[in-house]
Amino acid sequence: MSVVGLRVVTGGRAGEVAGPGPLAPAGLLAELYETHAAAVYGRCRYLLKDDAEAKDALQDVFVKVLHALPGFRAAASPSTWILRIATHHCLNLLRSRKALWREQLRMVQAERRQETESPDRRELVRLLLAAAPEEAQEVAVLYFVDELTQAEIAQELGRSLPTVRKRLREFLACAREALGVTLEGGDL
Amino acid sequence: MNLDLGGPGAGCSSMRVRRLLAGELSGVEKERTEAHLAGCARCAVVQQEIAAEREALRRDVPFPQFAAAVAEKLAARPQRSFVARWAPLLAAAGLALVAGTALVLRPADTEVTRSKGGGAAQLFVQDQGGVREVAPGEMLAPGARLLLSLQPGGHKRAAAILLEPGEASVVYDGPARSGTLPEAFEWTGQGEATLLVVLSDSPVDAKSIRSAADAPRGADVLSVTLRR
Repeated sequence: MSVVGLRVVTGGRAGEVAGPGPLAPAGLLAELYETHAAAVYGRCRYLLKDDAEAKDALQDVFVKVLHALPGFRAAASPSTWILRIATHHCLNLLRSRKALWREQLRMVQAERRQETESPDRRELVRLLLAAAPEEAQEVAVLYFVDELTQAEIAQELGRSLPTVRKRLREFLACAREALGVTLEGGDL
Repeated sequence: MNLDLGGPGAGCSSMRVRRLLAGELSGVEKERTEAHLAGCARCAVVQQEIAAEREALRRDVPFPQFAAAVAEKLAARPQRSFVARWAPLLAAAGLALVAGTALVLRPADTEVTRSKGGGAAQLFVQDQGGVREVAPGEMLAPGARLLLSLQPGGHKRAAAILLEPGEASVVYDGPARSGTLPEAFEWTGQGEATLLVVLSDSPVDAKSIRSAADAPRGADVLSVTLRR
């Protein structure tokens, strides 16, 4: 069997250039990939804890972004805007498999009762999201993961500052109840 | 016991670091953030995390695969109104929504044998114009990279064979995974070639396949003609 007429691109997986001369990825999608895809993929991996699902979610998020380009272009902070889409998408996926999510939280609860080592702070936030009402979940990600101030969150979501504060309190109340511990979460 | 879940610190915000690195900050806010970063251990960790995210993306989802998968998902949405509305923007994105480029499905067996018939595949090309689905009759540019995407339709094994006059080359032989294959390939020949995609429940002897008739019984065989 001959392979004269065909060449498998070594490094095709790694995105390396295969042919003679660079194949510069031009256009908006390439720009979006360069600037935002890493953060989106990171958010999807963080929330979904599954690389295959995260890859799929990454693509879905950018399909949504391409459908909503006017919103992207109008956003005061494209990074915040695009990560919100990613967060929203992943939270929806997690809600659809809520039983598994809650089971993971129960495992952490059991570990805490045994006084084992504290889980990673952001991993704990991820698990506690399962115990929080839907409206509080996105606010909690914006505050504890993206580290936006309450005022920035209010502006980003178009909600009042008291509403944002209320959502964060709801999240912390659920978290306290879930873990049976005192939580520090800023001056709420 | 107290647990600290974090949140924004005095001057610290992971999103502000992201925005700085994405070139979204300017003026006083940019200067202030840069000055803060220079002496903040917590934000240095955030920068490391962002660098690790970039590494993970390039390792797991290189641009050609990403662009092909996004193009595939966009093309899979039969929303004419959307296409009409966003075609100029998608062209700007280097993506083209091309209808009617699904590969021709030819059951390998006689009508007596049941064919699942659920398999499908799409072929994407990346050249200087970006990434798009290969259009019927399209002349491929020199150096164009081709990426095959499978929808196995329940089949377990897949093989892709490029047939040229007097030559056959195995592009892929392995599990019938859903989505784009892990490696892109180039066709360096001239004239015409046929890419056969075999989706089968039984093992496929890819090296022996010269036509759809050589596929195992019950297999779906898809064919596309490449031109240069």
